[in-house]
Amino acid sequence: MPRIGVGIGVGLPPIVAAAGGYDADAQAFFDRVTTAGGTLTTTEKNATNQLVLDMKSAGIWTSMKAVYPMVGASAAACAQNLKSSSFTGSFTSGWTFANTGVTPNGTSAYMDTFLNISLQANWVGNNHFSFYSRTQTPSGSGWNMGVGNASNGLPLFGLAVVRSGNAAIYDSGNFPVDRINVTQSDGQGFWLGSASSTSSRTFTKNGSTIGVSTTITTATASNDTIYLGALNNTNGSDFFMSQECAFSSIGESLTSTQASNFYIAVQAFQTTLSRQV
Amino acid sequence: MIGYILTPEQYNQVQGQYYSEYQFFNCVLSIDNVWFLFLSDEDKTVVSTTKWNWILSLPEGEYVPPPSPPFPPTI
Repeated sequence: MPRIGVGIGVGLPPIVAAAGGYDADAQAFFDRVTTAGGTLTTTEKNATNQLVLDMKSAGIWTSMKAVYPMVGASAAACAQNLKSSSFTGSFTSGWTFANTGVTPNGTSAYMDTFLNISLQANWVGNNHFSFYSRTQTPSGSGWNMGVGNASNGLPLFGLAVVRSGNAAIYDSGNFPVDRINVTQSDGQGFWLGSASSTSSRTFTKNGSTIGVSTTITTATASNDTIYLGALNNTNGSDFFMSQECAFSSIGESLTSTQASNFYIAVQAFQTTLSRQV
Repeated sequence: MIGYILTPEQYNQVQGQYYSEYQFFNCVLSIDNVWFLFLSDEDKTVVSTTKWNWILSLPEGEYVPPPSPPFPPTI
């Protein structure tokens, strides 16, 4: 049963779900999950529906290319893209699926999003990655999502939250000169890296800016797809991480206001599902 | 971390093969250049019902990863 959503954040109007049913995009996602053989609870459907409404109200829905809400506790359900039927994922062996999210083993597991960044218009100057981590303890030396070549001076795009040594990283450009690297001891939260031009990159945690980079990148988009749970290393073995993911998205750049409202929407989503951190 | 040990021939058989509509096998090399496959408990439940169930009878061993490449110093 659709419910009335309340306005969230400053300046956001109250949202009312379409009378008689869910938002059309939300319903299409539910149908994809069902067709894939997955199942969603009523609570998960209501939360996901409200998430879509909140994202549309915040003006960020159209900036999304892939949204993985990680509901349904199965590979079939969690592989589905909330935004559209494109970029349905495939999981390798080694994942654990739960009501709280999906967890890779940190050794061999990743999800291929099949989103090739070289096919996205102006990727280098217009992108975002987001990752909702429910894992507090810093660990690993890889990336939670990304694609690129981890060799000096070559293109790499992704997020690492949070590595051993308390390093939280947003890469969008040539490795490592265009990187944003901040010290963070708590890996839990909603991490968002956004590039609005080839000389402007912002890293936020829970809607607040934690780092910026204004180096002028000369990087080009790698001709390969983004992995979740690891970096898709275009030059050898992948780099895995083991943090639990309760949400992830890929898309166009977001302003600081949009990043803040995105966090509010995602946090409300997680709270409805009783898995917020 | 304990994983299944595969011969090169077994690796060629399973690497990249789907065992469900949205899941495929991914093996990794150990420090000794031995192929390992890691399956979660959920994976094993699924695999046990497929033509790949022979994997569950493979020998298991402790995986030691190869050393990570030296990353350039961060700026």
